[in-house]
Amino acid sequence: MITAEQKPMDEIRGMLAPYKRVLALGCGSCVAECAAGGEKETAMLASALRMAARIHDEEVLIHEKTVDRQCVKEFILPLDDMIGEYDAVLSLGCGAGVQAVSEMYQEIPIIPALNTEFLGETKDQGYWVENCLGCGDCMLYYFGGICPLARCSKQILNGPCGGSVDGRCEVNPDIPCAWQLIIDRLTRFGALHRLEEIYPPKNWARKQGSGPRKIIREDQQT
Amino acid sequence: MTDSRKRTLALFYCRNVPESSETHRQAIEKGCDEQIRLFPLPCSGRLEPVHLLRALEEMADAAYLITCPEGACRYFEGNLRAKRRVERTREMILSIGLEPERVGIVIGSKEVPKTLAQHAAEIFDKISQMGPSPALKRPANETFACEKRRDWL
Repeated sequence: MITAEQKPMDEIRGMLAPYKRVLALGCGSCVAECAAGGEKETAMLASALRMAARIHDEEVLIHEKTVDRQCVKEFILPLDDMIGEYDAVLSLGCGAGVQAVSEMYQEIPIIPALNTEFLGETKDQGYWVENCLGCGDCMLYYFGGICPLARCSKQILNGPCGGSVDGRCEVNPDIPCAWQLIIDRLTRFGALHRLEEIYPPKNWARKQGSGPRKIIREDQQT
Repeated sequence: MTDSRKRTLALFYCRNVPESSETHRQAIEKGCDEQIRLFPLPCSGRLEPVHLLRALEEMADAAYLITCPEGACRYFEGNLRAKRRVERTREMILSIGLEPERVGIVIGSKEVPKTLAQHAAEIFDKISQMGPSPALKRPANETFACEKRRDWL
């Protein structure tokens, strides 16, 4: 899941300042799950912005709507009938959602209300952690399902570093040592021998350095 | 000089609050000329920040919640969740320049339980000390006196 957090109110109001008719556009997928940009959060933000406008004597019209997914064209299409009424759209989608809506409506500014954070897991209610960097070359098999790139502070592929104390990371004692977790887990499987391999430095060209990545699946295309 | 416009309070409450039946609710609202609008909840944990924000936006100078005493929630932690949500709402209204005291929570007491009407009177007295909310859209011709009727007590 893509996680995000709402930007500070002052920043949002600053970006909206030139516009008089605004559509606050929520997204019902990942950002709803992480309570940043779903229907409820969109209603809250729109309500707060309308009240802020009254407090500061500003004539602004703010409507709200939430689509199921801002990053899929088919889900954005229903906006066709209403988008012309607005000077700007305040998107509570992730960065991908903001850009998908921007591409659909070239003449209207699409303003991000959220800071997109990371690919995360919901650990508990209201608690999300990053555990995948989306590196494009998954090595989880070798490390017992625990990614040393996302979860080890030093991102080392041939660990442990030797600095952990009582299974906690020496850089950030709030988190468990990823290498302790890897070794414990591989031991449970009887697969510790996988660590006898020396893993070469990560080839980051699969993640970045060649422009935006894309996936093309002809069998999925019409 | 005190602003003479009438104050309005949106009051959400857990149905476990003593003397909070529908009859009591209607009597309180009627008795105070609807300056207090009451919203019963099956549990205070049902409250979402958007409920408080919408109340402040549409109809109230202040929005409060009454919960059952800590440890007495029949859904175990509804009132604890409500407390955090009220706190989140206070942070949000502070960020737009509204006094955080316009949103609040009153946790019932096991030792000295109060009725809904008693809670409502105390909270209304408290919010009447504040000026009218600048976030609330008011009719242009509004000039009500801030009269406090007490026949619903």
